[in-house]
Amino acid sequence: MSQNAEHVLDHFDLFRQPEYVELFENKKKNFENAEPADKVEQAREWTKTWEYREKNFAREALTVNPAKACQPLGAVFVAVGFESTLPFVHGSQGCVAYYRSHFSRHFKEPSSCVSSSMTEDAAVFGGLNNMIDGLANAYAMYKPKMIAVSTTCMAEVIGDDLNAFIKNAKEKGSVPEDFDVPFAHTPAFVGSHITGYDNALLGVLKHFWDGKAGTVPVPERVPNEKINFVGGFDGYTVGNQREVSRMLDLMGVEYTLLCDASDVWDTPTDGEFRMYDGGTTLADAAAALNAKATVSMQEYCTPKTLEFCASKGQETLAFNHPVGIAATDQFLMAISKLTGKPIPDALAKERGRLVDAIADSNAHIHGKKFAIYGDPDLCYGLAAFLLELGAEPTHVLATNGNKEWAQKMQALFDGSPFGKGCHAYAGKDLWHMRSLLFTEPVDFLIGNTYGKYLERDTGTPLIRIGFPVFDRHHHHRYPVWGYQGAMNVLVWILDKIFDEIDKNTIVPAKTDYSYDIIR
Amino acid sequence: MSLTVEANTQRNKQLVEEVLKVYPDKTAKKRAKHLGVYEDGKSDCGVKSNIKSIPGVMTIRGCAYAGSKGVVWGPIKDMIHISHGPVGCGQYSWAARRNYYIGTTGIDTFVTMQFTSDFQEKDIVFGGDKKLAKIIDEIQVLFPLNHGITIQSECPIGLIGDDIEAVSKAKSKEYTGKTIVPVRCEGFRGVSQSLGHHIANDTIRDWVFDKLDKDAPPRFEPSPYDVAIIGDYNIGGDAWSSRILLEEMGLRVIAQWSGDGSIAELEATPKAKLNVLHCYRSMNYISRHMEEKYGIPWVEYNFFGPSKIAASLREIASHFDDNIKEGAERVIAKYQPLMQAVIDKYRPRLEGKKVMLFVGGLRPRHVIGAYEDLGMEVIGTGYEFGHNDDYQRTTHYVKDGTLIYDDVTGYEFEQFVEALQPDLVASGIKEKYVFQKMGFPFRQMHSWDYSGPYHGYDGFAIFARDMDMAINNPVWSLTKAPWQQQA
Amino acid sequence: MSLRQIAFYGKGGIGKSTTSQNTLAALAEMGQRILIVGCDPKADSTRLILHAKAQDTILSLAAAAGTVEDLELEDVMKVGYRDIRCVESGGPEPGVGCAGRGVITSINFLEEEGAYEGIDYVSYDVLGDVVCGGFAMPIRENKAQEIYIVMSGEMMAMYAANNISKGILKYANSGGVRLGGLVCNERQTDKELELAEALAAKLGTTLIHFVPRDNVVQHAELRRMTVMEYAPESKQAEEYRTLARKIHANAGNGIIPTPITMDELEDLLMEHGVMKTIDESLVGKTAEELAA
Repeated sequence: MSQNAEHVLDHFDLFRQPEYVELFENKKKNFENAEPADKVEQAREWTKTWEYREKNFAREALTVNPAKACQPLGAVFVAVGFESTLPFVHGSQGCVAYYRSHFSRHFKEPSSCVSSSMTEDAAVFGGLNNMIDGLANAYAMYKPKMIAVSTTCMAEVIGDDLNAFIKNAKEKGSVPEDFDVPFAHTPAFVGSHITGYDNALLGVLKHFWDGKAGTVPVPERVPNEKINFVGGFDGYTVGNQREVSRMLDLMGVEYTLLCDASDVWDTPTDGEFRMYDGGTTLADAAAALNAKATVSMQEYCTPKTLEFCASKGQETLAFNHPVGIAATDQFLMAISKLTGKPIPDALAKERGRLVDAIADSNAHIHGKKFAIYGDPDLCYGLAAFLLELGAEPTHVLATNGNKEWAQKMQALFDGSPFGKGCHAYAGKDLWHMRSLLFTEPVDFLIGNTYGKYLERDTGTPLIRIGFPVFDRHHHHRYPVWGYQGAMNVLVWILDKIFDEIDKNTIVPAKTDYSYDIIR
Repeated sequence: MSLTVEANTQRNKQLVEEVLKVYPDKTAKKRAKHLGVYEDGKSDCGVKSNIKSIPGVMTIRGCAYAGSKGVVWGPIKDMIHISHGPVGCGQYSWAARRNYYIGTTGIDTFVTMQFTSDFQEKDIVFGGDKKLAKIIDEIQVLFPLNHGITIQSECPIGLIGDDIEAVSKAKSKEYTGKTIVPVRCEGFRGVSQSLGHHIANDTIRDWVFDKLDKDAPPRFEPSPYDVAIIGDYNIGGDAWSSRILLEEMGLRVIAQWSGDGSIAELEATPKAKLNVLHCYRSMNYISRHMEEKYGIPWVEYNFFGPSKIAASLREIASHFDDNIKEGAERVIAKYQPLMQAVIDKYRPRLEGKKVMLFVGGLRPRHVIGAYEDLGMEVIGTGYEFGHNDDYQRTTHYVKDGTLIYDDVTGYEFEQFVEALQPDLVASGIKEKYVFQKMGFPFRQMHSWDYSGPYHGYDGFAIFARDMDMAINNPVWSLTKAPWQQQA
Repeated sequence: MSLRQIAFYGKGGIGKSTTSQNTLAALAEMGQRILIVGCDPKADSTRLILHAKAQDTILSLAAAAGTVEDLELEDVMKVGYRDIRCVESGGPEPGVGCAGRGVITSINFLEEEGAYEGIDYVSYDVLGDVVCGGFAMPIRENKAQEIYIVMSGEMMAMYAANNISKGILKYANSGGVRLGGLVCNERQTDKELELAEALAAKLGTTLIHFVPRDNVVQHAELRRMTVMEYAPESKQAEEYRTLARKIHANAGNGIIPTPITMDELEDLLMEHGVMKTIDESLVGKTAEELAA
């Protein structure tokens, strides 16, 4: 017996004690019909080979450890970015339990969302009654100012029509006739969570800018000087939205953050549960029609949304999760050009500080090889920053990237001497990445929490940047955009580099001559 | 200041009335049946259960897929479980349940991996059977040491009418009798995870047991002390800290269902002398089946907290000879000093603290004893996906006047907690931050809040420590700024 | 003139595709620019216009390319008789997959790709019955404004017409879809015209045209042509011209249908002698039992 009341052993210590080690061995030997150790080892070695890589890349049907989620997750993310808005997902209820858990595990925050709880009978007869009852209940209980509806794949396969259903529900008095219920069809079998983001935001904008599904006259656009900012699906939205606001405030730009979830994913613990907090007001969302331009921080999250904005006569601009000096420069200059507002010295000074930091630390990053995976825009932004640091983004992988993205990545590589030999992998998954890391090793891996399995299998140290990050706390509170955001990313990368050097030099009398106090 | 039992019952009944007022009439009528107050002497808790959740209310429940892939099948470590359909279901449930296991992941074990058919529009329109067949072929090439495959159906599979059984049979034949199990656990089936458990249990019966080669030589010599642990998912190592006690008392555990389990263990279970069942809800079906078909008795047990552990060890031993009965006493005596030390340390800090539970499976009742061992009191409890037989069993645990809430909605749970002001709320990830924001100490009782194990004697030490650290966390005195506090 | 969207529904085998293609050819003759969207997995809604056996469908091409996003409009749109543009949604083999979802996919694709620009008429030709949400796609809001139900005097055709009306009613309150009228394709059953008119009256609509049977239709079909092209001077061609003119003039005249119950439908059939009055005592009896 090793457990002890004074020093309670947790799972990571308890099960290493001899009585448990013996238990594991006996269980395996007597009952598991386990493969012999040498056979397992042989197979493990084989998975590291080029031969295995080729078989792995020849896969046509199976997906293993993908780095993407499904559309409605993005739709829920959009909904909570609006003032007092309740996300309502029409379809099976289990999906909603999953989205809520997923967000709560990343943001360490409550995630409020309701389902229309469709079951077998609704699969046969359609989910109209679920919509009627669901809207009525959600409205009565959670007193939202808006309910944003999206769909699970179940409702999509049986072909439920949100527009008609919502109108029917209003006729039945589920919610008042003039209550805002924007909607978006978000089939899980098309695209990924970033597609869902685009569809859902488009749904909200169409609702306000196109006459609320034919129930009010289409408003006339009266252009003003404001700029709309759209962040895209972003695990760092808390830090990033605030950083964008700070920079725009410094420039004196008038703007609307369209879909701003920075407060609802960062509520205080002060005795009050805020189901809703902050967000773009509905009035601002409606008035955003009049903006001069809409700027998307993530091109691949917003293709349809920007097209719609352009159709209304707005200028549109799209960036790719801008991280680093050049990316921030381009962003600020574009805003300056758009608004005629100069970039203030304060921002130039921040830029100088970032350049200073990079110059100070360059020796440790220069020439290091990285593998990156994540959403297409994040991959682009991080790869561009690494090139700027003199590092080599050798493998860049986006499960939800398309051919066009891969071409754009290639153009980025081609534009830098450090991009030689770098390759973009669109539509591949983390089991492909595993083969890449074995056959063409790199120094560091950048990705979300799931990357820790790659770190374990291949020994490539993981720098956690992406979504979701479940096993490290609070990074989502920091921005990665702007000069200050880039500074955070730089520090995260450097910390891991230094930790690795220390780890590799820590053996006394063997390697610790290099265990330097100054680096 | 404590209320009399009658006054407490009265207050709780009024509270239910109050809370129901928010609903439209039709919904209030339906929800009223799920909310109640336990009264001594009744055979159940006076609430309806296992009924469809109402649209729009923010149920905490999941779906049949979660019950099959997430609970029953997912932990079987040497099989590959394909999340068949669009990418999301497998993604959100990927490695989220902490079913600990030992093995080389990706080579001979696969629990913390996400295998999906990643359905695209064309797979919906043209059907996914050909893709599934190809996926099985690709698995055989890339993961040759897998010991079997299950197909966990997501919603579209049932809607588009794919014939996954036919694919499974054909591929099983092609790969010389390989175990390939099609599971019809589409999320729209049933009303919660619960039907997924049942469906998964049935597939073990039909696609594992019924395909056993009766003439095959046994992999081990049977002994009179062979038992199988049923319904322990080894969350944070729960099944291990349970198994060790059974072995110490002289039993031989031939299978774990399903935490750290293997297909060989499932196959061996019909040879057990006794099935010991922890999570009744998720695995009573297969236990009953084994009783009927193979004559294996089963006994429910509870390994939370020393009182229930001792009672359970004795109950299990009662099915065996004196050797085992003595073994049980030996084990209880061995751990007694540790338990005393744990209680001496933590009980003074936790005495009289009130707890509200809302969990799934067995925990809304099973953990009550562990809290009571620490001097704590459970004042409200409810099941995410319980049936009436769960609520009947609950009567043996709860006190007169306990508030009962079945399939509680987000709104109801908040209101109940706000009104009853417990010292601890113990529920799931979706509830955790809601109550912490409100200033209530909280522990996740699905994942053990990334701690555990909580089962067995070793687990109870961790359980006690965790409850103490939650309740006595100094941060709870800091939630109000000093200048905002009322005089 | 703004875009007019119509749809033809009707029981399988009723001559729906033949009627719709001939009518649309007649509309084209009137100078209308037409797009036909076939919404039937059999993909036979445009063969008479294109003189083709089968057209490459959106869904088969999408499956080959990977996703529908990889397709261009010109891959799927063919131009046939009198510049009528034709697309076929296509779908799975019978018994697998989800043809209804395929219809949703295809129509979304066409709208996103701007297929509806520069034309006067979109006509959806929809498989048999409104069996699921997918096949109701053409009657959702901002899709077809009027539905024309092709039927005949047969019981099952009338049953289907009533069912389709139920589908329309579902969407009519929230959206703008209306029942344009019935088109009876003569089968030469008893009292066919009378029956069709009676059903139309029950549904609150009109029999917009009664298309007589004529062998020239079969002759044209053998040559994969519409009658309009094969024998433009024929009497039958004139029938289709009449129907086309009526539909063209029918804009905005659609109604919200009043579908009837199964019992009412049976009463209607009995009234007209199509169905024998049932002796309730005989229901459920086998031949042997009846003989005894």
